[in-house]
Amino acid sequence: MRLTALLAMAARVKVHPDYRYGTSRPWTVGAQRMNPPGKKRRKVFVEPIQPEDWSLFKGDTVEVLAGKDSGKQGKISQVIRARNWVILEGLNTHYRYIGKSGEYRGTYIASESPLLVREVALVDPSDRKPTQVEWRFTEEGERVRVSLRSGRILPKPVVQRRDGVVPEQWKDGPKDTSPDDALEKTYSASLKTFEEEIAEATGVVETRAGRRTFWY
Amino acid sequence: MGLLSGLARGLVRGADRMAEWTSKRGSRTFYKNRGARKTGVLTSSGKFVQVREMVPELVVPRLDAGFKLKPYVSYRAPPGTEEPQTPHKLFTEVVAPRIEKEIKEGTFDPDNLEKYGLERSQEGKIFQLYPKNYVR
Repeated sequence: MRLTALLAMAARVKVHPDYRYGTSRPWTVGAQRMNPPGKKRRKVFVEPIQPEDWSLFKGDTVEVLAGKDSGKQGKISQVIRARNWVILEGLNTHYRYIGKSGEYRGTYIASESPLLVREVALVDPSDRKPTQVEWRFTEEGERVRVSLRSGRILPKPVVQRRDGVVPEQWKDGPKDTSPDDALEKTYSASLKTFEEEIAEATGVVETRAGRRTFWY
Repeated sequence: MGLLSGLARGLVRGADRMAEWTSKRGSRTFYKNRGARKTGVLTSSGKFVQVREMVPELVVPRLDAGFKLKPYVSYRAPPGTEEPQTPHKLFTEVVAPRIEKEIKEGTFDPDNLEKYGLERSQEGKIFQLYPKNYVR
């Protein structure tokens, strides 16, 4: 059971309904230490926010309204929807030692603590003050976040891809289909199955029908 | 993280009982198939007769002249706007115009719906729709 147990740890983690989500991802060693299989903790109550009402995204600039760093503005580096958490870069920090081994005490680093969504507010880019935000539709039909105080649209932050590719500046290689060829509509609806169309196109004439089969 | 450290952690002796028993394990005379299907029939004299219809044949379009699609798609391509095909859409695009034309001409025949594509039974067809007897 040992090797297969090891391999199973890398597979998708099944999480029970009362799982307590933390700042580490459920498949990491730290999260598994916090939530061993038989452990039952007091249930943490999370305000239910509908997916369509969620307005904070990774990369947004927000201002902290409560806590140690209240009044400061920072960029969101991580969003944990399961607990309505938002982790900002360099704000709401506490200090800890990491990488302790033997006699070496480890490196002293600042680690950010999560904030609830109700304790932060999005910053209006026109006057750089915190505002309440609502989802509305533009005249084109696009769903955008609108600041309630000034009416300015808050664009969704552009997240850079991890592989560093910027789609607008991509140069096609020899094995890349160009966007026009990929989006060309060549499908014509017909009542024949794909196999029947190919048989017709290649001139395959098959008069033998298969053996009679039954299903129940 | 190897097998040895896993064993040392478990502190229990013996082989890994839960590992899959494949054709790669077992002795020289051990035979086990890994899912490949037979392409013919074994006769009573022991000879294997291959049946051409059971051998899979890949039908590939001509890739040399005027074929514009390549293995990968450029990052610049936006997500497509075509909706997935539904039976309702297929009927509206293919069958409905034919029926409308016949009604206008006055030759619509409600007893002979086979000429608009109705198939009352799948018997006699090579590629039956239900139960589906083709791979795709």
